[in-house]
Amino acid sequence: MKRILILEDDAALRSELSVLLQNAGYAVQAVTDYTDASAQLLEASCDLILLDIGLPGVNGQALLQALRRERDTPVIMLTSRSGELDEVLSMSCGADDYITKPYNPTILLLRISAVLKRSARSTAAQTYRDALVSTVRGTLTRGDREEVLTKNEMLIFQLLLDRQGEIVTRDALMTVLWDNDEFVNDNALSVNISRLRGKLSALGLPDAIETRKKQGYVLR
Amino acid sequence: MKLSEFCRDRLPAYGIGLAAWLLTLIFLYAFRVSGEAMVIVSVVLLLGAVSAESWAFLRKKQYYDKLLHCLEGLDQKYLLPEIAEDPGFLDGHLLYGVLQETERSMCEHIAGYRRESREFREFIELWVHEVKLPVASLALMCHNDGDARYDEQLRRIDADIEKVLYYARSGEDARDYLFRSVSLKKALAQVAVQNRAQLQELHITLQTQALDTEVITDGKWLGFILGQLMANSMQYGASQITVTAQVLPDRTLLSFRDNGIGIAASDLPYLFEKSFTGQNGRTHARSTGMGLYLVKKLCDKLGHGVAVQSVQGAFTEVTLTFGRNDLHMVTKM
Repeated sequence: MKRILILEDDAALRSELSVLLQNAGYAVQAVTDYTDASAQLLEASCDLILLDIGLPGVNGQALLQALRRERDTPVIMLTSRSGELDEVLSMSCGADDYITKPYNPTILLLRISAVLKRSARSTAAQTYRDALVSTVRGTLTRGDREEVLTKNEMLIFQLLLDRQGEIVTRDALMTVLWDNDEFVNDNALSVNISRLRGKLSALGLPDAIETRKKQGYVLR
Repeated sequence: MKLSEFCRDRLPAYGIGLAAWLLTLIFLYAFRVSGEAMVIVSVVLLLGAVSAESWAFLRKKQYYDKLLHCLEGLDQKYLLPEIAEDPGFLDGHLLYGVLQETERSMCEHIAGYRRESREFREFIELWVHEVKLPVASLALMCHNDGDARYDEQLRRIDADIEKVLYYARSGEDARDYLFRSVSLKKALAQVAVQNRAQLQELHITLQTQALDTEVITDGKWLGFILGQLMANSMQYGASQITVTAQVLPDRTLLSFRDNGIGIAASDLPYLFEKSFTGQNGRTHARSTGMGLYLVKKLCDKLGHGVAVQSVQGAFTEVTLTFGRNDLHMVTKM
């Protein structure tokens, strides 16, 4: 289980973030006392840090620089200041990503999993049951059969695979597609999913994607 | 300064001079001075008066003509005291003093307003920063509770907060933008994701063409501008939005076109005016006349062009023009 450290001084926001991340299957540790935030930040052992730019008494960017001198734990900056300058500064201080409040929860989770994936540098191919998933080539291979997925189908399959066994809502799928510049509508999503099902059946996995009425889809 | 104007101004003095001369002649006559002497005295007095007046005229003409010339050439007339010189003569010197004094007083006055407006803007930015915290908390609460019922209202609150922020930023003294190379595709995707739920509820399809290009702009400001255009399309009955980029040798055009109710030709010239709502404003609730006004103001600040074409009942197309800055190409030449 990946551990995430939250540095956010607004108590309500912090607790909701914790709930969001816990529901998404992360172990969450939140800093509540900001008198020595930098010491806690440097001592904590975690896989990813969510860092608010405007912490009381200390600048998030300075904190990030101090952390970067010690370790290269991935950091996502959170901010409610929607200025380009903050973003540029944060990225140049070594942040891995930057998200402006109020964030879309689905996108926040996506960014977190993307940053974690990048930092794990898992070039090792992913598998689903005994099928090999290659996002680079956009293919699913099982035995001697190979199916080529379109960009949309791969995005959908990837999200389902990341949350295998859980219900993924159509809304979440839609957000992922739109976040990747694929502005599909409801019908197109259904078409994409049925095509994906068709390709999985061709590989001998006909019941891989299960529909949960009014909830979403589950990859079994 | 014309000679005739100067003479007319001096007319009372000439009258007094004339009277003094006549009086002198009467006295000279009474003392039985010869006619030749009287002529000589008159000529001497006249020559003296004419040369004194010419000197005075030329001196003033030189100064005031220069002053008026400067005034004409000035873009900001109020800057005149800055470049006026102190003339050698008394009334000019007094005027110079008055100008300097009024300028100092006006500068203090303006500095006061400027400080006030800056403080107000800073407060607005701080407030926006603050108010986004509860909005963010609420958005997460709704998500955590699995209740999507409030999402749309939260989105509206957030959009309105952004509007306040950018209104403050569009002011005279605000300079908080940062030019970078921004991908049009990324900028549009961000706006599209934010508005996805509403776009889909209204069954609006979003199409993009040739957006794989970058322009020099502030990404956040561009995002806001595109958000305003999208909000307009959603409000005014569009079922399809097409965003197209066109790269020309000296500039990049981004056209944002929808097939909504369009804009009456008679309204087109006033679209960018503050609080202008036009015909569509009378038939549609929630028109504030602020969206396009802000778009225009922000584009002006960033140096981008913006133009609207529309046919009522057919389409509305807003075109943004981004200049191409080739300074970075210098090294390649």
